[in-house]
Amino acid sequence: MSGLEISDIRARFGHAEVLRGIDCRVAAGETVVLFGPSGAGKTTLLRAIAGVEPAASGVVRIDGREVQDLEPEHRPLGMAFQNFSLYPHLSAYENIASPLRARRLRSQEIEVRVRRVAELLRIGHVLGHIPRELSNGQKQRTALARALVAEPPVLLLDDPLRNVDAKLRYEMRLELPPLLRKTGAAVIFVTQDFREAMALADRVVVLREGAVLQDAPAEEVYEAPASVPVAQLFGDPPMNLLSAHLVPEGNRVRAEAAGMAPSFADLDITHLERPFLGVRPEDVLLASRPAGGAHAEILAVTPLHDRCVLLLRAADGTELVASVTGAAPEPGTFVSIAGARHAVLFDPVNGHRLAISGARTEVAA
Amino acid sequence: MSLVLSKLDKTYKRFGRPPVRAVCGLDLEVRQGEAVALLGSSGCGKTSTLRMIAGFESLSGGAITLAGRRIDPLPPARRGVAMAFEGYALYPPLTVAENIGFALHTTRAERRKASERVRAVAEMLDIGAILHRRPASLSGGQQQRASLARALVRDADLHLLDEPMSQLEPQLRAVLRGRVKAYLGERGFTTVFVTHDQTEAHALADRIAVMEAGVLEQFGSPDELRDRPKNLFVATFFGEPPMNALVGRVKEGAMEIEGGDGRRFSIALPAAATAPEGARLVLGVRPQRIRLGAGALSGTVLSNQWLGDQAHVALACGALRIVAVSLARVAAPSGTALPFAIAPEDMHLFDPESGTALSHRGSCP
Repeated sequence: MSGLEISDIRARFGHAEVLRGIDCRVAAGETVVLFGPSGAGKTTLLRAIAGVEPAASGVVRIDGREVQDLEPEHRPLGMAFQNFSLYPHLSAYENIASPLRARRLRSQEIEVRVRRVAELLRIGHVLGHIPRELSNGQKQRTALARALVAEPPVLLLDDPLRNVDAKLRYEMRLELPPLLRKTGAAVIFVTQDFREAMALADRVVVLREGAVLQDAPAEEVYEAPASVPVAQLFGDPPMNLLSAHLVPEGNRVRAEAAGMAPSFADLDITHLERPFLGVRPEDVLLASRPAGGAHAEILAVTPLHDRCVLLLRAADGTELVASVTGAAPEPGTFVSIAGARHAVLFDPVNGHRLAISGARTEVAA
Repeated sequence: MSLVLSKLDKTYKRFGRPPVRAVCGLDLEVRQGEAVALLGSSGCGKTSTLRMIAGFESLSGGAITLAGRRIDPLPPARRGVAMAFEGYALYPPLTVAENIGFALHTTRAERRKASERVRAVAEMLDIGAILHRRPASLSGGQQQRASLARALVRDADLHLLDEPMSQLEPQLRAVLRGRVKAYLGERGFTTVFVTHDQTEAHALADRIAVMEAGVLEQFGSPDELRDRPKNLFVATFFGEPPMNALVGRVKEGAMEIEGGDGRRFSIALPAAATAPEGARLVLGVRPQRIRLGAGALSGTVLSNQWLGDQAHVALACGALRIVAVSLARVAAPSGTALPFAIAPEDMHLFDPESGTALSHRGSCP
């Protein structure tokens, strides 16, 4: 297969197993986002693929060819890091040209390729500057240009937007997907920001404690997390996880918690006690007037642009978070929880997803 | 007024180089019981301001008054201020409980009460279970919560918090922000905190002071900053994604926008906007206010990203790029044409030279 294929990547630092046998495929032209909390092993995995992690083992194939025994400089891949790692004494031009110089290309050819990638990233006007004279955004684009310039079949981007300001990060979020698609490379992009993951990813691989928790399209990770840890990690504010009470109803089962009672089909509940009901904050349906239904007290209102995040205490004492649009209600008042638009049920013992209920938002326009 | 900063100045002298004015003539009045955020990017002067209020930094000019008394000549300990600073370390030999209760000087009779308060604050911040542990065994997020608890357990004329939730575990952030906001309100604390994170400023603050290059750009509620930004800087800094800003000329009650490649398109101005014929202006419109799906304008979809609870759509109109946010999915793949409208009541007009706001939604600022 063309692209990147890794299997059984392991790494151990002393007694700590930091990568526990990772398998992953990234097709040419595809962007896979590696998502996880700090310490998950994301950077170690990139280092293993690049061949700069001595503690790592496993098979790395690029365009079908095994490269794990090659020296790092002979592996056909480009890398960019969150701290940019530019050569401080070289101009932006020379930084970008460095992978081509290493391959002993003619300087005419180098000039053509450096200018082309610099135009693409809109840094053509600062090629003569050394890193100290560049803004953070320009440094980040220079590092990205250096990774792209040799048109490698594999690109490893380690949280490259982390240290740039919010405005530029937002711009790059819009610009990067078409740019990466144009390169045709198999891309692994590391981030801890779930919105960045959703914006950039064809597929998301959720990593925690050196193991893959879920490997699926971004929307699937958001709507149907494979387990409780994924539900807690992917989303901000994260999915509410409430201890639910099960009520059989014909061949369906209702899961009751905090006034919500979504119903699930095809669920064997013989050995199931108090599973976790997962509901995204925007899927908690509220009725403005506390009429019937379950009352909940609004403990706090934290606005965010056109939305409001409400911290609620349900009648049974459970705390939950709801995100609403429109006018902000007053803290200390009551609302009623009318239901859940979409919900996921998790096994209380092993944390695995058991079932999904309801539909997601409608398509407009 | 509880806290009054008047004509506050801070200049850092540097050997052999020109001095840096970190804070320039800052005037700010914080009401009793109010939570105020100092928001800005790094180097904007927000942290210098907080450190001057705390007494960790001398003033180059101006005065600070707290509850009617001048505090800037006083040493930090005599200012009546409780604080949680980054790097304002926990005492390593003491347990978490002892650290939190350290500043509660109490008589024997009050000791029981003090330990109840420590427990209550610790439980609010989800560190009730680790009160017996020592700081070295805690994660960064837990240490930050302990440090925050140590400030919040005290009654003081003023609470100062430096990036209070920057290290917090993402899955706890939404709930803890809500709880802290409710707690500050219940106790009537006057609070000033520094952050570079809009979400945090939004969530916790009653009013936000936006700073840039040592200057206060605007001081207002989140709604004021969103609906009535004083200038183009605040308009495009505050809000996510940033406000669209289109340059054009007034022509017969409409804005004629230059599309960049010779194309022009015309957008009707609010009837009440008093813009002279031929004037060059910047038209600002929030991404959340662009109405997609119908209208006289049309753009080509550059990208259409679904982020779980909102869609971000980038449109090309000639060489211009317009970003729109929709709370529902938008069924328009990249490359297709999508009509849209900008309503007069959603328009902000700015002077292109000074950046000053001229009108918001048709009325004067």
